[in-house]
Amino acid sequence: MPTLLIALLVLPVLGGLANVILPAFGWLPALGENALSIKGFSALFATAGLTNMLMLSFSSALLSTLLAFVMTILIMASYFNSPWLGRIQRLLGPILVIPHAAAAIAIAFLITPSGLFSRMLSPWLTDWQAPVDWLLPHDPFGLSIILGLTLKELPFLLLIALGALSQKELGKTLHAQHKVALSLGYCPITAFFKVVLPALYPYLRLPVLAVLAYASASVEIPLILGPNTPPTLAVAILHWFNDVDLTLRIQASAGALLQLIVTLFTLTCWLVLEWLVKFFAKNSLTNGQREYAGQLIKWLTHLLTTLLMSVIVMALAGLILWSVAGFWRFPAALPEKLLFMHWQSAFSQMQTPIINTLLIGFAATSIALFLTLLTLEAEQQRGYELSSLVSLLIYLPMLIPSIAFLFGLVWLQEQLSSRHAYFNVIFSHLLFVLPYVFLSLASSYRLLDKRFAQVGASLGAAPLKVFLQIKLPQLLPAILVALALGLAISFSQYLPTILPGGGRINTITTEAVALANGASRRVSSVYALTQMILPGLGFLLAWLLPKFIFRHKDL
Amino acid sequence: MAASLTIKALNLYRGSEHLLTLDETIKGGEILTIMGPSGSGKSTLLNWLSGMLPKGFSAQGALYFNQQDISHQPSHLRHLGLLYQDSLLFSHLDVAGNIAFAMPKGDKQQRLKKITEALSQVGLSGIEQRSVSSLSGGQQARVALLRVLLSQPKAILLDEPFSKLDSQLRSEIRELVFSQIRALKVPAILVTHDYSDASAAAGKVINITKESEHA
Repeated sequence: MPTLLIALLVLPVLGGLANVILPAFGWLPALGENALSIKGFSALFATAGLTNMLMLSFSSALLSTLLAFVMTILIMASYFNSPWLGRIQRLLGPILVIPHAAAAIAIAFLITPSGLFSRMLSPWLTDWQAPVDWLLPHDPFGLSIILGLTLKELPFLLLIALGALSQKELGKTLHAQHKVALSLGYCPITAFFKVVLPALYPYLRLPVLAVLAYASASVEIPLILGPNTPPTLAVAILHWFNDVDLTLRIQASAGALLQLIVTLFTLTCWLVLEWLVKFFAKNSLTNGQREYAGQLIKWLTHLLTTLLMSVIVMALAGLILWSVAGFWRFPAALPEKLLFMHWQSAFSQMQTPIINTLLIGFAATSIALFLTLLTLEAEQQRGYELSSLVSLLIYLPMLIPSIAFLFGLVWLQEQLSSRHAYFNVIFSHLLFVLPYVFLSLASSYRLLDKRFAQVGASLGAAPLKVFLQIKLPQLLPAILVALALGLAISFSQYLPTILPGGGRINTITTEAVALANGASRRVSSVYALTQMILPGLGFLLAWLLPKFIFRHKDL
Repeated sequence: MAASLTIKALNLYRGSEHLLTLDETIKGGEILTIMGPSGSGKSTLLNWLSGMLPKGFSAQGALYFNQQDISHQPSHLRHLGLLYQDSLLFSHLDVAGNIAFAMPKGDKQQRLKKITEALSQVGLSGIEQRSVSSLSGGQQARVALLRVLLSQPKAILLDEPFSKLDSQLRSEIRELVFSQIRALKVPAILVTHDYSDASAAAGKVINITKESEHA
């Protein structure tokens, strides 16, 4: 059973990669190109502004991850023994399920010249009576991209760090060692940096690298917040691939390979940075210095955290205001009139995208759930856990930039079954949904008290009956959470919808991205909010249903 | 003048439940032993002394070091060394690193020299570069002791520090710890539920019992 799961995940990724590598070297029989050449690369390297594209992809990924990582560490250090750590986590947690596209739209509307940010400062501070063009968003340096990526990455890294600390043994030891450092005269912040961080970082390393890999090749955020001339490499590849001129696909394939190199290079830079920090910090760990401007760092963290929260609250508030705004003169902080017309008109056009979103989401998540349960049950009946190699392979679609293998996968699908667009989209979504569903369910499945199953078996129940009547009901809350997570992941997918669907299948996310840079900020806000509401509803149901089902039991 | 640690009119509470009352002065080189069953408030006392009283607990009373009131000083400015039953050595540092971490700032060569001397005094010559996870339980306990001693604490708090050692090692390490405390003339408070610890400490012993057993 694990073999099937792995084959389902690995073969499409490898097949996709192969179908990118071959066209990149000019082998594309469908277009009558079947001689190996480096045409694609020559065209790629002749592209105007290629260096800028590469720099933009590289710098926005590295800086945003660095910023999110530093913020995570500062928050952990400043609130290590404070109830605020949990509060900040609860406030940031919901951002995890906000799709990248929706988050990007919210930020774009916040920082645009006529956005809520400049309205808050005008006219009392700036004296502006009309919006002033200040280049944001779409600034050529990628600052808007960095802001968007950082806001999405920070809650994830914080969740991972807190998750590591909630592991019983590790958390207990680190808290006790922090106390030891305090009793040795170290100020709390220095104690965190010299004692807790070196032990905690190994648990953050892989997630940080995954975030970095994703950021270096992400499409939605640079598409909505990034510059157009030139865009990031990933966005450029998408444009080439979607171009009516099919020969550009050779260049796109070469670009996809270059993207892999950019991602690898970015990861290498992080590892080098890591090594440098270790090398230079090594001596100061034991030099006996107990205080490094701890108070200053604490105030800086208070300031940054407040700023971060305000940006998030303002971005969401702005989105809600735009979605119900009537006439809204520039420096006014609030619209003059509130109306629900945009919601009504949007809903009449939204039906097909919503149905598509739900259909694809439920199909992909159900298959993922079925395969996950089957694999986990097989693992328990055979009595061995998945090897670490298999566990690593499950992460593969999360680690390899999707822009690099999805094109190849689309080629493959076009050759095999080009007419079944829905099938292709659902299959592509499955690649991204499956790892999350598996990760989310595996730990609760393995923690399940085995004695219940043994009691059931001793009463003469067949393994299937034990599975259906004992394990599944006990796992219901965990299954519902995995379902909600799978749906949220599927709802948010942009590339795996637009590419295999050939642009013919519209979901809320593809519509929201298409409308993001369009004419109506109001309609766009409605779409972005719908994008947030759908996964939110899923999690709400996952939380409420078990309470309702088990309401007669004293739990 | 010898150092002294004074606990003045202390009352500790868990919520509204009264845990213990204490009024003691410990002179440098003396070891005050607190005995009692688990849940009696022994650890809460140490938490209060080190300035880390957890949420839900409260205290009345004051803590003086040489007539100076330190009850409201933050933990890291009190300089009270803690020794737990787990050695809690930092696994990202080697043996010398763990000790150097605790020492005051200073010239690198001199600090290294001190570490070498201290290690040889407790029979651990030549393990400076070893990783702490490769040490035996007894070796870890000794390194943890050196870490506390070389931090030059004003007083030492011992939280059942020998309870995880087997009996042979137990009396050996205990003798080492107590002789160092006496030699350095620092006040110490030992929390334990083992009578042999209490008699070896050879100081005043206070038994705290659960007052509200029936409640």
